[in-house]
Amino acid sequence: MKHPEVPSFAYRLFRWFCKETMFEELEGDLEESFLKNKETYGLSRARKIYTKEVLKMVRPTIMKRSNSGPIYGIALLSNYSTVAVRNLTKNKLFSAINIVGLAMSLAIGLLAIAFAAEMYTYDTFHEKGDRIYRITSARTNITEETDVYASASLYTAKRLKDYGGFEKIVPMYKGFYGDVALEEKLFAVEGLYVGEDFFSVFSFPLEYGDVKTALSEPFTAVISEDFAFKLFGKKNVVGEIFQKDEHSYTITGVARNAPRTSHLKFDVLASIVTVESLPDHDFLSKWGTMWMSYVYVLLPENYNMDQIMKNLGQLEAEENAMAERFQISLGMESLGSIFPSDGKYNQLRTVMPEKNVNRIIILAIIVLFSACFNYTNLSLARSLKRAKEVGIRKVVGANKIQLFGQFIFESLLISILALAVGYVFFLLIKPEFLTLDRYFARTTSLDLTVGIGLMFFGLTVLVGILAGFLPSLIMTRFKPSTILKGIHKMKVRKGVGMREIMTGLQFMFSMGFAILVILTYKQYHFAMNFDLGYDTEDVLNVELQGNDPDVLKAAFAEIPEIQSSSYCSFVASTGTTNSDYAKLPGSLDSAIAYNMSIDPAYIGTIGHRIIAGSNFTSATSEQQVIVNEQFVQRFQLGNAMDAIGTRIQFYDKTQTIVGVVKDFHYGTIRNELNPFVFLPGKTNKPHFVNLKIKSTDLIKTMEKLDEAWTSVDQQHEFKATFYDDQIALAYSALSSSMKTYGLLAIVAISISILGLLGMAVYTTESRIKELTIRKVLGASFTSMALLLSKNFIKIFVVASLVAIPVSYMLFKQTILTYSKYSINVGFWELGSGAILIIVIALITISSQTFKAAKTNPATNLRNE
Amino acid sequence: MKGTHLGEFQEIVMLSILILDENAYGVTIQEEIDQRMKRKISRGALQTALTRLEEKGFITSAYGEPTAERGGRRKRYYQVSNRGIETLKEAKDLRQDMWKLIPKLA
Repeated sequence: MKHPEVPSFAYRLFRWFCKETMFEELEGDLEESFLKNKETYGLSRARKIYTKEVLKMVRPTIMKRSNSGPIYGIALLSNYSTVAVRNLTKNKLFSAINIVGLAMSLAIGLLAIAFAAEMYTYDTFHEKGDRIYRITSARTNITEETDVYASASLYTAKRLKDYGGFEKIVPMYKGFYGDVALEEKLFAVEGLYVGEDFFSVFSFPLEYGDVKTALSEPFTAVISEDFAFKLFGKKNVVGEIFQKDEHSYTITGVARNAPRTSHLKFDVLASIVTVESLPDHDFLSKWGTMWMSYVYVLLPENYNMDQIMKNLGQLEAEENAMAERFQISLGMESLGSIFPSDGKYNQLRTVMPEKNVNRIIILAIIVLFSACFNYTNLSLARSLKRAKEVGIRKVVGANKIQLFGQFIFESLLISILALAVGYVFFLLIKPEFLTLDRYFARTTSLDLTVGIGLMFFGLTVLVGILAGFLPSLIMTRFKPSTILKGIHKMKVRKGVGMREIMTGLQFMFSMGFAILVILTYKQYHFAMNFDLGYDTEDVLNVELQGNDPDVLKAAFAEIPEIQSSSYCSFVASTGTTNSDYAKLPGSLDSAIAYNMSIDPAYIGTIGHRIIAGSNFTSATSEQQVIVNEQFVQRFQLGNAMDAIGTRIQFYDKTQTIVGVVKDFHYGTIRNELNPFVFLPGKTNKPHFVNLKIKSTDLIKTMEKLDEAWTSVDQQHEFKATFYDDQIALAYSALSSSMKTYGLLAIVAISISILGLLGMAVYTTESRIKELTIRKVLGASFTSMALLLSKNFIKIFVVASLVAIPVSYMLFKQTILTYSKYSINVGFWELGSGAILIIVIALITISSQTFKAAKTNPATNLRNE
Repeated sequence: MKGTHLGEFQEIVMLSILILDENAYGVTIQEEIDQRMKRKISRGALQTALTRLEEKGFITSAYGEPTAERGGRRKRYYQVSNRGIETLKEAKDLRQDMWKLIPKLA
């Protein structure tokens, strides 16, 4: 038909879009011109002209009109919705399975969206945010271990001023905590000492006071609106004075409350020049003191990052040359990457780790897919039921796009219904989610905004399209001739493999989650019941909150339920540790020794076993230490008896070993055992009083304790926690993983079982005649159940073969890598999850077989 | 007066058809306009004008015999209808009257 030299793509394009009534004339003209052009300009130019001419034909007079005009559109849409609603109500079970499954997964999806959206709006309100950076410190100690901290020394801020290249440098020091006093009344405070440029870098507007001068003088402070109201009962408090640690601070400004989505939160901002008058000043202005201070910088408009990094490198090289025990390498972190964090230590306030955000998103996607599979699976399996409709529609003139639209419309309807149900689920799980662990409790609100609402809707539409895509595609491909000749001759071969894969994936996820829950639970249980080497039962730890431990001990001593009492610098085995280098006098060989300060009664209260030597003679005995067995081994002091009397260098002092205690676990299950030293009395500031309680009426005892506390301290509330609860708190990360996996396991398992139920109902329904005939001929229930579940069993076995190793690897990576001590993972730990799910699944399938087998054969065979 | 309005391009197309007389079909009209106007027009643009003119009843068309050089496709010949000729004349008269009214150029 066409001339062989005419560009075929352009030709075909033209034939596709040109009106049939015009095609003959126009294509003829084009070809005639083409031949003439070929003679005048040559072939390639002629071909180009041809293509150009075709492209210029794209105009309404020439193009075909699509046959679904706007008038048909509305009529069709109303027809689609009628059909969709009829379909929904006709198959109530399948509709319910689809809606509930999608709703559960949408609830998780909504959670993930609201959560992620909230996390990534943190700190976006600062006007100069894209130029604000924080200096970070990577500190390497003698053991060659490097940890990266979000903090940096105040000294670094001072030195950076010499280098230039920054528009503003804002040092911060977290030391403003404890209590603020106002006319004998105390108020708990969380504040910061900050550089005077704070307000010109960060967008925290002042309600009262002058942004430029507010923080330039020592002992001046800006307080937040809320805190002003708490202290004075009014907001304009400029010029008022409050006390903190025997110093008077003058209020020079009142700042509007920081938005909730700020990683910087404060009641009070005091001027950083104040720090120069604090007793710790010498210590705070050292290169190595980077524990509680932060350095923020504002870069100029056209900054040169290479030059800045070079300057930082030079600064650290100069300083590290003078440092003996450590090396610090400086880095830069943009404001945007502070929250959520990549896992740096020493964050200013609680910061959500990015891995938590990612984990939630990934898990939500898995659950969402699982639910989409249900819809896809069931619709595919049942697609033949719609075949006649498709056939008629096609014969009447529906094209593929319209049919596809119709089926997508149906799945959208389902997903929108699911959104309504899912939103209710979302509200139900929201409070659980917010209390998952301290990270969530402190940083997340899950408040909804219009934007998040839109994203919810977007997700719903996406899920609807995703779930409906495959079945819609396959159903639109049915050929009317085959359908109308008789459906029983049709076979949907294409979908079957896909369906098996989808069911397999669903069960893989379910089993994976179930196995993870079981493993995490066992590890948690293991950690909680770990033999620490001492006795924490019935020990109540009372926070001193600055009081003298001896006074408190005396106050508590009158309560008869208290069997013994002691004090210590921190609570061991809850994650807190304290360490320094120990060595033998005259030796160069030093090793890290963990330590805490205790009074002599501690050994007895907690039940440590002294295996050689004795306890401290008194709380004030100087230069005495008690060490553990590891210490004796590390410094090769022979057996425990030989170690007694040995002198060691510790905290720059010579001390004598007076006793050796049996090894105990001072850290968590994450830590290995290392040398440990008990220091006497108040070497390090005591923070807790330990009370061993034997009581039959705990509430009454607690009242008595509270009373005794109030007799000593009227300002602070009595704060006490049982030792075991404190240990549980130390493992809150484990328990929150357990809860997360648990929730997801429930959702994933429910979804897959729902889907399986749907498939089982469908299979039994469509094979009901076969089953009945088998029954009539004498088939047993078992053989019938086997017949129906044969395919599924195959899928389950494959799913568990994948799920078991993968979930074990995950468990190992996320939880075991951080633990020195862990459960033994054997067959039952891994297999029980998979077996549990297979059993539930088989029960679901057999329930349907049972129904079929119980029906009177006559009912099923009557028609035909 | 949308029904009888004649655009500049449409006028030129009609005049070309009249010049070409018996041999007015797509390619020839296109060439005629190209040569006289010294401007390249696309076949698509021409088609739009032809369609509009036919809708207004200014031209008529009829298929000719199949031709080999067109891959066996028929030409579609165009003719200006009486109504078309009248409209062209009206347009011409209108302009001439107006020209006459210009004082300096006369």
